[in-house]
Amino acid sequence: MVRLIIQRILSSAITLALLTVFVFFAVELLPGDTCTAYLGRDAKGDRLEICRENMGLNDPALKRFATWASGALVGDFGVSPYRNKPVSEIVGWRMRNTIVLALSASLFGIPLAIFFGIIAGIRRDKPVDMVLSSTSILAMTVPEFVSATLLILVFSISLGWTSGVVTAPADAPIGVLLGSTILPTVALALVFAAHILRMVRSSVIDVMESEYVAMARLKGLPFRWILLRHVLPNSLLPAINVIGLTVAWLLGGVVVIESVFNFPGLGRLSVDAVADRDLPLTQCIVLILATGYIVTNLLTDLASLLLNPRLRTFRG
Amino acid sequence: MEFRMIGAAAAVAALMTLSPLVGHADDTLRLAWDEDWGGAESLDPISPNRHYMINDIIYSRLMREDDHGEPIPELATAWSASDDAMEWTIDLRDGVTFHDGTSFDAADVVYTFDRIMDPAIDSPVASVLQIIDHVEIIDDDMVKIVLSSPHADLPLLLLDYRIRMIPEGSGDTIAETGIGSGPFMLESFDPQGTSRLIAFPDYWEGAPKLAAVEVYSIPDSDARIQALLAGQIDMAGASFQQARLFQGNDAFVVQVYPAGSWQAIVFRTDTPPFDDPRVRKAIRIAADRQAFIDLVLGEGNGEIACDNPVWKGDPYRADIDCAQDIEGAKALLAEAGYPDGIAFDVYTSNLESEMVPIAEVYQQQVAPAGIKVNVVMAPADGYWSDVWMVESASITSWSERPADQILNEAYRSTSSWNETYYNNPDFDALLDRARSELDPAKRAELYGDAQRMLFEDGGSFIPYNMNGLRVVSSELTNIPGDHNDNWIRWELVTKDGATN
Repeated sequence: MVRLIIQRILSSAITLALLTVFVFFAVELLPGDTCTAYLGRDAKGDRLEICRENMGLNDPALKRFATWASGALVGDFGVSPYRNKPVSEIVGWRMRNTIVLALSASLFGIPLAIFFGIIAGIRRDKPVDMVLSSTSILAMTVPEFVSATLLILVFSISLGWTSGVVTAPADAPIGVLLGSTILPTVALALVFAAHILRMVRSSVIDVMESEYVAMARLKGLPFRWILLRHVLPNSLLPAINVIGLTVAWLLGGVVVIESVFNFPGLGRLSVDAVADRDLPLTQCIVLILATGYIVTNLLTDLASLLLNPRLRTFRG
Repeated sequence: MEFRMIGAAAAVAALMTLSPLVGHADDTLRLAWDEDWGGAESLDPISPNRHYMINDIIYSRLMREDDHGEPIPELATAWSASDDAMEWTIDLRDGVTFHDGTSFDAADVVYTFDRIMDPAIDSPVASVLQIIDHVEIIDDDMVKIVLSSPHADLPLLLLDYRIRMIPEGSGDTIAETGIGSGPFMLESFDPQGTSRLIAFPDYWEGAPKLAAVEVYSIPDSDARIQALLAGQIDMAGASFQQARLFQGNDAFVVQVYPAGSWQAIVFRTDTPPFDDPRVRKAIRIAADRQAFIDLVLGEGNGEIACDNPVWKGDPYRADIDCAQDIEGAKALLAEAGYPDGIAFDVYTSNLESEMVPIAEVYQQQVAPAGIKVNVVMAPADGYWSDVWMVESASITSWSERPADQILNEAYRSTSSWNETYYNNPDFDALLDRARSELDPAKRAELYGDAQRMLFEDGGSFIPYNMNGLRVVSSELTNIPGDHNDNWIRWELVTKDGATN
């Protein structure tokens, strides 16, 4: 078990390192650079040269990568040349905000998805299931920017229940932020809750058809007991991996949601950072998101291990 | 445990929804900023990444424009030129105070100009003031601007939105403090969050009607429209497509105003085949300009331009007739040695939403004249450095500028933004003569000649000037509907136009 964890952490570190190399050179390959993005029409002649000199863009790409990487290793993500501020300062509050958004979406969406998934599973092919299943398919297929816009249109513009886009600054107190985070939370939760709901539903159906549930029924156990002792533990296990994956997906899904709702988080920032060719900032955001992804996956794997004794003897 | 946490979170969320989130005070004007510079915005009026929205509210210019684009007094009360138009004396307004309580005088004006022209600062505004030799103090309320070459329309140059008066010696701090003499003063500045300006009670034209202006950063244009619809902001610029959302909605007024921005296909006059003036003219007159407005901008969203960079609202705009002339184009091409037509590449990019449609409409429009256009898509990134002014034909885009400034900036042979590489000594001489001509009628004639010369001989195909569009909450009053935001007198704006 311990060996497995160490193995996983080591391979995660290698993944992260490869990722930064990939992102650095991918951004490098795009046309234009920080200076052409910064100067726009003034990106000509002396101004362009001076800017490139000042921002250190004239050094070879490998050298710049090495400088960046050695700093990142000790936690120094450098200074954003475009924004002329330390990257950590730009990213700090926004990371908090994205975590707040992802957490509130998870806390809201996951229990709801599991609950309805179970209901749909045990009421398979009944009207309740039909409604839940088709709603979830709809929620999965409608792109986030459409559902987000619809949510704003209905709840903010027509009904006036809550604010539409977020106007709070990145460093707003958490209470203020949460108040204007309701619609983004719902929009984000909709998509991934649908995935979880469908996964839970099908695994509930599988378990309901298993021999041990049939046996329990024949024994004359009350339905409530069958559900709590046999169906739930066995059907939630496979769902944990899906939950892990969708929570990790949250981190990417926030890009669209944050843009539509003007939410001051990492997702919106990453769009700007790439557009501005702001390499240090882009690198830092990618690292954060990737770390989040990897850690979430690691945690769900560990959770599965704990809950399922059969996996513990598995040697990866 | 977990359930309790969710319950608590839900309760907090519900409470937050019930109490109004945004300070919905009726004496606060709420605007949205598009975060053009990703947080690197500066309050320095002459910085390349100036926050032009806030700057317009917190600073003042020497002059402002009247409805016809003519300069009228702001911080300057009167001005006059010497007979040779080499020296300008400018009377300054008495009793104007900056937000820090100091009073505005001649020393501030000299300081502001010296700073703009300081080579160490390397401001893009310096090129506008190139003809100024120096500015000197005559007394507290009067300065003299000495030019290095005559210019009869110096006040038009001083209308530049970036030439705003700052207190003497404030250059190192102005980017953060924003101390000006405008109707509102800075309370807090966060270009990526919320900036707040509050009424300046000592404003020289009287205290503002509103108590505060808040500027929220909303980079995404659709998000701005949603914020407007949801009543979170009071006005915003919009595209013509977005404006349809507000049709028939009494809570909003859609304002369309003529504006000076334009887009064009630029042909390098130093590169074959465009080095032949007959070819240049042929490939311009072969197009029907109205079609560009209808197809690229949408009907009614622009004004026809005859390769004329001077817009309709400018006092020096020349009237030119530029109806489509396919036969004329064919004849000119034959004369230039292309009896069977001509083919060339036009580079474009999706940098701005009109840039690709322009190239495509042009391709269709000129085909009947035997002109075969191959549209080449270039990446938006690095377009201005790698494609524009590099390829022999590419799409360009300009914002509104006064006649003298745009003619000099985009067509004078020595200008760094002479995008057509236009090198015509007669044209340069015409601009010099216009600048030194003191008789306004004759001056208009000379600027008109310069524009007609561009239509006959120039390298840019300018089909239109784009109209501007903004959507305003009907609560607001005193937002002039026929001009851009620079015409707004912020101290007069109120929010009691409609009862809620």
